[in-house]
Amino acid sequence: MLNNKERKLALNVKENEEINLDEYNFSTFRNEQPSAIDSIHELENNEVDSLASVGVLMEEENRSGTYLLYGHDAFTIARQIEGFECLPIAEALQKYHWLSDKYWFKALKKDLDKYTSAISSTIPSGYFILVKKGVKIEFPFQAGLFMNQENDAMSLHNVVILEEGAEIHLITGCTNKHKIRKGLHLAISEHFIGRNAKLTNSMIHNWGPELEVRPRGGTIVEEGGTYISNYFSLRPAKSVQMDPFTHLKGDNSSAKYLTVILSTPGTFADLGGRILMTGKNSGAELVARAVCQGGHVIQTGLIIGAASNCHAHVDCAGLMMSEKGMIEAIPGLRAMHPEARMSHEASIGRVAPGQVAYLLSKGLTEEEALSMIVRGFLDIGVEIFIPELDSAISEIAEISGHGEE
Amino acid sequence: MLEIKNLHVKIESKEILHGINLTIPDGEVHALLGSNGSGKTTLMMTIMGYPEYEVTKGEIIINGNDILDLDITERAKLGIGISQQKPPTIKGVKLRQILDFFIESNSKRKEYIDIMVEKFNMDKFLDRDINSGLSCGEIKRSELFQVMVSLPKFLMLDEPDSGIDPEQLAIIGGVINECLRIKDHRGPTIKRNTSLIITHLGNILDYVHVDCAHLLLDGSIRCNGNAMIMLNQIKKAGYEYCIRCQKLTQDNFEKEELKC
Repeated sequence: MLNNKERKLALNVKENEEINLDEYNFSTFRNEQPSAIDSIHELENNEVDSLASVGVLMEEENRSGTYLLYGHDAFTIARQIEGFECLPIAEALQKYHWLSDKYWFKALKKDLDKYTSAISSTIPSGYFILVKKGVKIEFPFQAGLFMNQENDAMSLHNVVILEEGAEIHLITGCTNKHKIRKGLHLAISEHFIGRNAKLTNSMIHNWGPELEVRPRGGTIVEEGGTYISNYFSLRPAKSVQMDPFTHLKGDNSSAKYLTVILSTPGTFADLGGRILMTGKNSGAELVARAVCQGGHVIQTGLIIGAASNCHAHVDCAGLMMSEKGMIEAIPGLRAMHPEARMSHEASIGRVAPGQVAYLLSKGLTEEEALSMIVRGFLDIGVEIFIPELDSAISEIAEISGHGEE
Repeated sequence: MLEIKNLHVKIESKEILHGINLTIPDGEVHALLGSNGSGKTTLMMTIMGYPEYEVTKGEIIINGNDILDLDITERAKLGIGISQQKPPTIKGVKLRQILDFFIESNSKRKEYIDIMVEKFNMDKFLDRDINSGLSCGEIKRSELFQVMVSLPKFLMLDEPDSGIDPEQLAIIGGVINECLRIKDHRGPTIKRNTSLIITHLGNILDYVHVDCAHLLLDGSIRCNGNAMIMLNQIKKAGYEYCIRCQKLTQDNFEKEELKC
């Protein structure tokens, strides 16, 4: 039986969505140019560990480059690869005047909501990546976004441009200093994927329990281009809301969103995703998995089919591990062309006792069995093996099996 | 090895097993015969320790120790292995993960598991979801394979011959005989794993020799004896014959332990 508070929440879960921006300190990001960090090897050990947990490694041999936003200070380094460039966004805007004309706020609107407006009022932080025609970057580029000031509003705006046939994998890890109790993270990411280019964007979040997070994303994919977005949330923020938008503009273009979250008591996550298909034969897939130990998760996916022979599938699934908490799955399809082929599925349930007992009969403990089942539930077909995502899945599965101290 | 005394079991509020007595000496393989719904699987799941099967009376003794206070994991670690008739599918959990768990539990098993994977051509199942999208025969092979490589000391096989064609049956029979072989011995098998094979069709007994059979009807063991003789009678006259036989025996001899 729900009490009054739970009932109110059940009927109007979105009440947590709005954030009062006046509660946060924007002054640094509005008034000061970001300063450069010379080395990332002076971070404290626990900071290094936090960044490693979200895929941002200090040993950079398996990375093509690093961008670290440490509070308001930025560190940027990239391998010398012909046709590959990474710069702080402010520097890139000065260097390339065409950037503001052709790309700045072109994948999403400046006044999309109050968060994008707030970001646009700051001095730009963030990174710019340009991969030129035909260049395929072997190792992932990593971006660490690390909040280190109490009550700060971190604000950044990233732009990634892939020219024809280019490929890169971005790993973006977001986390905060342990002692930070309250903070706001705002981000805009604009991706422009050229003809037959491929961008894999893996984002891992590991936030403190009082942080609020509003990432905003816009991606435009040209003919034959591919966009893959992997979002893994290890420890959710107090409140995260995102609804990244991808426009499959070119014929034969494709996009895939994979979203995995472990939800804990007192947290709110509204993880959406919209894909508009206007290119002929374009294809889209949204896959969302939520493991709920408490807190509220909303899985929203909307795919709009507006081209001939476009095809799409939305798959939302939730695993309830606790009597408290809520998962809401809203898979959405909108067909605007008679040849659009679209389907969706959604399921929410608990771990079947028969499955647990079956694994116990093999000699596993209950914790080991639950971890194995949750790990299986989260096996959503990430196309390539990404150690950082694999570690994230293992950690979510382990926490689900053992509970968190 | 296994001794069951006056075992009463209920599911929810209904008693399914009514005072089972059963003994399987060390190294013997016994068959449990009985029609559908007679309580065979209930007995097996109760021995394994599945919590929905509530023991209201009696004892289950393995090697002299009553195991009723042990949970499923503890019983599995004690060496009780089970091959289920209808195991659950678990999306995303691969057979390889189960094998990795066995190897983590005992690294010496790795070489043996690798050999068995090759011997029973299990490679193609390793990265598929457990029991998902498999045919009936494939599920049985997978189940038997898992129980085999877990090296149990007491083995229970639930209906290994149901739902499979004759060709598969021969393969399954081969896997079972491998399961039953004590792995510590090299050369000819001189001793087999203590085991209980549930079958209502009895077809598997053409491939696997059993030392004794027990007939379970309506939650009670009605008959013990030679498996092939019992099966022949059942094939000729059905399980009804056993009920009539028991009634005649009761009427004529008023014995508590009955033989057909």
